[in-house]
Amino acid sequence: MSEVTIECHRLIKTFGGVRAVDDLSVSFYAGQITALVGPNGAGKTTLFHLISGMVRPDAGEVSYRERRISNLAPWRIARMGIGRLFQDIRIFGHLTVEENILVAFPGQMGENALWAITRPVRVQRQERENIAKANRLLQRIGLEHEARTRAETLSYGQQKLIAIARLIATGADALLLDEPSAGISKENTQIQDILKHLANEGKIVVMIEHDYSIVQKIADQVYRMDAGKMTVLPTAAAKCPM
Amino acid sequence: MFQQLLINAISVGCLYALMAVGFALIYNTSRIFHVAHGAVYTITGYLCYFFLLRLHWGTAVAVVMSILCSAILGAIIEIVIYAPLARKKAPLTVCLLSSVGLYIALSNIVVMIFGSDTKLLRPDIEKVYHFSGIVLTRIQLCQVVVSVCLIGLTLLVLRYTNLGRKMRAVRDNPTLTIIMGVNQRQVRLAVFALGSALAGTAAVLAALDVGVDPNMGMPALLTAAVALIVGGVGSFEGAAVGGLTLGLLQALVIWRISARWTDALTFTVLVLFLLCRPRGLFGIHRRLEEETT
Amino acid sequence: MNYLWHMLIFISLYSLLSMSLNLVVGYAGLLSLCHAAFYGLGAYSTALLMTRSGWGFFPALLAAMVITALLSSIIAVPSLRLRGDFFVLATLGFQVIVFSLLYNWDNFTNGSYGITGIANPVLFGWSVDTPFRYFLLAGTISVVGLGLMRALALSPFGRVLKAIRENEVAAVALGKNVALLKIVVFAVAAAFAAVSGGIFAAYTQYIDPTSFMLSEALFILSIVIIGGAGNQVGPLIGTVLLVTLPEMLRFLRMPDAIASSLRQVIYGAAIVLLMRFRPQGIQGDYKFD
Repeated sequence: MSEVTIECHRLIKTFGGVRAVDDLSVSFYAGQITALVGPNGAGKTTLFHLISGMVRPDAGEVSYRERRISNLAPWRIARMGIGRLFQDIRIFGHLTVEENILVAFPGQMGENALWAITRPVRVQRQERENIAKANRLLQRIGLEHEARTRAETLSYGQQKLIAIARLIATGADALLLDEPSAGISKENTQIQDILKHLANEGKIVVMIEHDYSIVQKIADQVYRMDAGKMTVLPTAAAKCPM
Repeated sequence: MFQQLLINAISVGCLYALMAVGFALIYNTSRIFHVAHGAVYTITGYLCYFFLLRLHWGTAVAVVMSILCSAILGAIIEIVIYAPLARKKAPLTVCLLSSVGLYIALSNIVVMIFGSDTKLLRPDIEKVYHFSGIVLTRIQLCQVVVSVCLIGLTLLVLRYTNLGRKMRAVRDNPTLTIIMGVNQRQVRLAVFALGSALAGTAAVLAALDVGVDPNMGMPALLTAAVALIVGGVGSFEGAAVGGLTLGLLQALVIWRISARWTDALTFTVLVLFLLCRPRGLFGIHRRLEEETT
Repeated sequence: MNYLWHMLIFISLYSLLSMSLNLVVGYAGLLSLCHAAFYGLGAYSTALLMTRSGWGFFPALLAAMVITALLSSIIAVPSLRLRGDFFVLATLGFQVIVFSLLYNWDNFTNGSYGITGIANPVLFGWSVDTPFRYFLLAGTISVVGLGLMRALALSPFGRVLKAIRENEVAAVALGKNVALLKIVVFAVAAAFAAVSGGIFAAYTQYIDPTSFMLSEALFILSIVIIGGAGNQVGPLIGTVLLVTLPEMLRFLRMPDAIASSLRQVIYGAAIVLLMRFRPQGIQGDYKFD
């Protein structure tokens, strides 16, 4: 059975003499929520950078769906299905909430300048479909009434929900989430439900998390990173890939 | 022939270096691309013209007063234009555009007052020195001597005085200097005053040589910017070396190709450095925020 | 009456220039100082094709659009990895180098003497040879051009440009080919600036490099800053304001020499004031953050 996996093999990344990621090998499987815990500066975000292509490894490789992606451009890796939630959210502030979701949909004909002009009818049809999809997503996260609001005016927690919805909109099969519960309290359960739902849909969910209670609640597999190295932690509900 | 060009190149290069170090002082510490620096240059040149030919002051007095005024002008610009933007935490782009607007306004005020023709400051023949077939004018000698002295002085100030240390600290890590209680306002005022004084000196030295025209500021500013990139952002010595290098490069172009292509060459050098060696010859201190993921 | 058409022609030209620069600066968030270079390349392409190769105005204009769009990649591609001031300086370098080529490459561009004797446009036997007809030509072309740019700005293309402006890394993480999009927006903007250049060449029937210097690029940028960037209204307001400003000054009976400098003092000061108190300009969306 071929499963969607991210495989990291003997990854090394050094920044100015410090080994951020030190000969690290790990695999992330579909249908599981994997948590990465550990102190700040342990290399967890660097690992995400390496997987998503924002940083090139000094040694080792990353494979996704059994294909080597270590040297691909970050946008290509994203298109292949690896999505990220950043620690600092990186919402599109001046765009409306709806536009933030809309821009995330892949394969938009209208993003091609030539087609935007020469095939207005088909572009419009795709736009209408996407708007409907976006509003369904907004309903799912309870923000449909803010669709036309500028994203920068919303609260941190709401922006985080939008960022997650944006990630879902990309259709990514692998989601790398950098501290999804940081800085929020109200929307916490909502986010946990979304993550569980995504894992059940067969996606790879990897999250960097400092809040151990959340890790306990939803993580299927827990790894601890420290000074670039990784160890497995026991967890209540460890699922083994078949 | 080439030796003559070399002498000319060195005197021009020294002025470029002087202008570049002044610009670097401001850019390295505040990260503001101070386009209006070119306007300070122009205004100082015209002030010298005004003091010399309209008020009939002696040369030394006119020169010193002009340079003093340029320092004051630079400080005023910081107080009136940039400091309020910094308080509002305005992005650097806003500061840049502000500076562009200021340059346009100030340069055209100069035109309105003095007209747009070139004005010479010294109608008399310049004293020249001859040796081994090369001609060196007195003003060129002054340009070299004054530039070297002022650049040397500036570098000494940066290295050995308290103020200089603070300036370098702000260049390296502005946030940390705020936390450590360095008086930002004082440092900013000092760099703007000192940087503008250097520009003003370069302007006066050039004005005494070739006169003033309302558009003299922009080429001077652009050369300073290119020199800064070539020398390396963050390095003050680098800016001086960059200025000299550009002067020599220009001489090379004039000798081998033609004087008309110097601008194109200067900017081709700029683009090459931006693409192939953005840290310049001596650049260091690239802040982490500037790293692209 | 002719004077009115003259003004309206320049409003048409500058609305194309400012709206195309707006796509780059206001939508993609790229502070480009080389727009006068595209303007000039379009004007010279049109003029050279018409005078040296005997082309008609309309084919020359179309060719000028394509040529300028292709040449824009000379600055667009290398500047992809430059950020902040480095990017601005690179566009500045391109502007200066293009001007230098137009001014000094005598054999090809006739250098500082410029190109004379550009013929009138002829459309199916209808010759454009009065100011009113030039107004009809410029006005129609600019309305079409503005309509196309508006369609682009309001399309997903415009939206993804704004996303790049807001947070480029996030746009990359969504799978957008940011590099290609930047090249495309430069090409589109350059093409429309070239259209303006071509009409200018045909209208004035004589062009020389000094119309396409850095000061012109700064003027076009000023229109976008003062009117406002990032939407479909600001640049138009800026265009009308800055193009008619000299005329308004003329009503105050200023001598011409002073008037020219005074208007620049006014719009220089306007920029300083706006950046301090209202960075989005009169009616813009983008505050240059």
